[in-house]
Amino acid sequence: MTSSTGPRGAGRSDRVGAIVLLVFALLYGFEASRIAYSFSSDPLGPRVFPMMLAGALALLSVIYLLRPGGAEPWPQGRLLAQSLAIPGLVLAAALLLEPLGFAVAVTILVTGVGRLFGASWRLAILGGLAQAALWFAVFRYLLEVYLPGGAVFGM
Amino acid sequence: MDLSYLWAGFSVALSPLNLAIGFTGCFLGTLIGALPAIGPINGIALLLPIAYTMGLPPESTMILLAGIYMGAEYGGRISSILLNVPGDAGAVMTALDGNPLARQGRAGEALMISGLASFVGGTLGVVGLTFFAPLLSTLAIGFGPAEYFVLMIFAFATLGSMVGSQPVKTLIGCVIGLMLATVGLDATSGAYRFTFNEPELGDGIEFVVLVIGLFSISEAMFMLEHQAKGGSVIKVAGRTFARWADIVRCIGPALRSSVIGFTVGVLPGTGASVASAVSYTTEKRLSDREGTFGKGDVRGLAAPEAANNATAAGAFVPMLTLGVPGSGTTAVMLGALMLYNIQPGPQLFAERPELIGGLIASLYIGNILLLILNLPLVRVFSRVLQLPNWVLVPGILVLSIVGVYSTHASVLAVVMMLGIGIVGWLLRKLGFDMAPIILGFVLGRVMEVNLRNALAISGGDLSILFQSTISIVLWIMAAAMAVLPFAIGRLARRAAAPSPQVS
Amino acid sequence: MKKILVNALVLGFAGFMAGAAVAAPEKTECLAGAKPGGGFDLTCRLAGNALLAAKLIDKPMPVTYMEGGVGAVAYNHVVGKRSSDPTLITAASSGSALLLAQGKFGQYDESAVRWIGALGADYGVIVVAADSPYKSLKDLVEAYGKAPGDFPIGGGGAVGSQDWMKGALVAKSAGQDPKKMRYVALEGGGAVLTALEGGHIKIAAGDAAEMAKHHAAGKVRILAVMAPERLPGDLKDVATAREQGLDIDWVVWRGFYTGKNITDAQYQDWVETFRKLSQTPEFAQEREARGLYPYTVLGADFERDVKKDVERFKALAAEAGL
Repeated sequence: MTSSTGPRGAGRSDRVGAIVLLVFALLYGFEASRIAYSFSSDPLGPRVFPMMLAGALALLSVIYLLRPGGAEPWPQGRLLAQSLAIPGLVLAAALLLEPLGFAVAVTILVTGVGRLFGASWRLAILGGLAQAALWFAVFRYLLEVYLPGGAVFGM
Repeated sequence: MDLSYLWAGFSVALSPLNLAIGFTGCFLGTLIGALPAIGPINGIALLLPIAYTMGLPPESTMILLAGIYMGAEYGGRISSILLNVPGDAGAVMTALDGNPLARQGRAGEALMISGLASFVGGTLGVVGLTFFAPLLSTLAIGFGPAEYFVLMIFAFATLGSMVGSQPVKTLIGCVIGLMLATVGLDATSGAYRFTFNEPELGDGIEFVVLVIGLFSISEAMFMLEHQAKGGSVIKVAGRTFARWADIVRCIGPALRSSVIGFTVGVLPGTGASVASAVSYTTEKRLSDREGTFGKGDVRGLAAPEAANNATAAGAFVPMLTLGVPGSGTTAVMLGALMLYNIQPGPQLFAERPELIGGLIASLYIGNILLLILNLPLVRVFSRVLQLPNWVLVPGILVLSIVGVYSTHASVLAVVMMLGIGIVGWLLRKLGFDMAPIILGFVLGRVMEVNLRNALAISGGDLSILFQSTISIVLWIMAAAMAVLPFAIGRLARRAAAPSPQVS
Repeated sequence: MKKILVNALVLGFAGFMAGAAVAAPEKTECLAGAKPGGGFDLTCRLAGNALLAAKLIDKPMPVTYMEGGVGAVAYNHVVGKRSSDPTLITAASSGSALLLAQGKFGQYDESAVRWIGALGADYGVIVVAADSPYKSLKDLVEAYGKAPGDFPIGGGGAVGSQDWMKGALVAKSAGQDPKKMRYVALEGGGAVLTALEGGHIKIAAGDAAEMAKHHAAGKVRILAVMAPERLPGDLKDVATAREQGLDIDWVVWRGFYTGKNITDAQYQDWVETFRKLSQTPEFAQEREARGLYPYTVLGADFERDVKKDVERFKALAAEAGL
């Protein structure tokens, strides 16, 4: 991955990242130290290996903190919102999958993401309908993978 | 050498179902390779859950995934040549001479030369694999928990070459993968670890959820930021049949590069990008007397293409004989075996000869299918380069949701995939690579369980890890591996330095 | 066993008298708390295929998979969401009773569902490598008692699993503390076999159906079957643990439960359907094809057996110090 950022901003996100990783390592290690078990047939038990990992990650994130670099710039404003809209749309589709059915959820997802990638409303909606029909046909009839029909294609 | 496993394998691979599956894999692989946005690992991640839910037997799933892997190595050249954007990592070097050729109006010839070179490299690679695969199976019985643990140490030592510019990030990725593998029921004590009383986490983080989250979701988010790049597609026009003289000139480079590619592939941890870089520089040094490399020399096109296809076959050697993945893609394939409760490792060849034989036989067949797909039908694939992202990305996301949902019938799994995807995106923005995470995850459980089992056998005595000859050899190899790839990496970097920046 | 057989006969007769009035619901569904291809799937398919072959249902019974916690997710799902659905049966095994006894199914105990019946069983076996000097379980136990540190025991499950329990029973009969057992948790029967052949473990605990073929092929030696009586087929010459003076049985039954809130009539319909099923030749064929030995316990008897199993496992776990 090539980075073409000013060293300043990138360095900061590296440092924030390293600190988050360090905190995560400590939390993970703490959680590992209180894994509940009655006894184990091996001398190490279920706690030791995770605690070793926590130590390794803590050490590595300190090294990372001291020698930052390599981060890409973060998307700003509108682009950031659009980037986060992708997982948002996937979440919406996942939640709608069972109540409304595969076809509706996919139409919404494909239309929404299509818009994010620069399609006009007309093309995005057409694309959404077409992909919903295509994938439904492929999975239901060609591959015989179960998909929820939901309220629209409920059977 | 006893090759009866291979003949048995052909009877598996030639069954109508597996032929159809192999063809599907090759076709989709070429498509995936041709698309600049997604590589073989994305393709495999998307199709694995579908194959699994369809109830395909493990050998058929492996044939499908291997077809995608090989196909992507073929297909990657198409966008390198026509678009000057490599379709996948192994095709970076292909653009150096391929794109100039295309701009001289010789796109059709370039595609044919590179297709033939791919076939030579791929086929020679599979021949090598055929002889290598049974080699270690006699040792399998000697692999107890202690030996497996040292084998895993060896596997992580090979990461040296995946390192890239920031070793610390590779190692962090690896540890994160190892940590994710500890979630769920502990195989030795029966304790639940990091499950927070959520029964769905009882069996740990599902491989499919992790792989799709890391590769599809974060990829889609990346593509949004990095879109609207890339030049225009060069139309395939004029002469499509390569000149005979050019083909003859390429024989030497293709053969040499196949050997280089296969060797690099066998070394765990080194991928197609290293192989094609090494073969390109070697060929440039050997035969570039007129200084035509980089300006549209067919030999500069044939060398990296032969090499990257041979590498793909070579990468199966450590994966099938030792259960050690050499790259992100083979790590995902190993994970696929584990989905079927098949423990990869030296015993695999003895226990499941039909699986390994079938897989290798399918690679022979696949190379022929791919040659057919990639010579006369190459225009069809060149069309997909025009597929707009507003069609492609939603399609990837739909497949992601279906893959996760259908293996679990649970919306929670989809939500988890999203969480992992967003974390993956954050890490990628920080310059982390996803492959070490997958590697750590796939090998993590094997590593911990075997360490603990070894100590259970010895009653806590650590010397069990250094007792057998196998262990000692593995320790030495691990030490060598940690150092060796740096040398190769330096060679590759020297080659890559003057090349145009293609991301 | 005898008592069970008598019970089965008596009830079978009663069922026969009850006659053709009973029927499974129109639409049926079998829930398997694991991946396709696992033990629960096998149990579901046994019932589904046999019911269809014996024409006790008209349409194939679809299998739904709900993986997680070795059946825990499925158990919680049935208790929480499907407790009054008469069309749903869920596969279970003695392993489910073991997990219930150890409180691994969450807040619910064995009385949170209704147990319909068991349709077949497998039995525990104690295995050594083909070149092992030990020819009988008695010799092995004696040697183990003298030097437990020399005998790593392998099984396909964690501490507290069925294989571990079998090993613990052996250790206990040798007068040793199960907690000090050098137990090696391996991934499934294949790994156990490889470890045994490679000499990495000296004793293995496993299931009869899986080990029988390797025993017959001469790859390993089964020293004892943990069944009340000798098993038919490949293992007919292998002495039971009881014959060798060790009272350690391990029955791995495979059966079904349904939601707590279905009506008594709906529950009885299932019991009677299975009773009729168990008497058909189609069923015997399907059961054999899946490597299961005859073992049919239905209705109230089964409810009682499951409760007894859970109690027994609780006592064993407490004794073993879990």
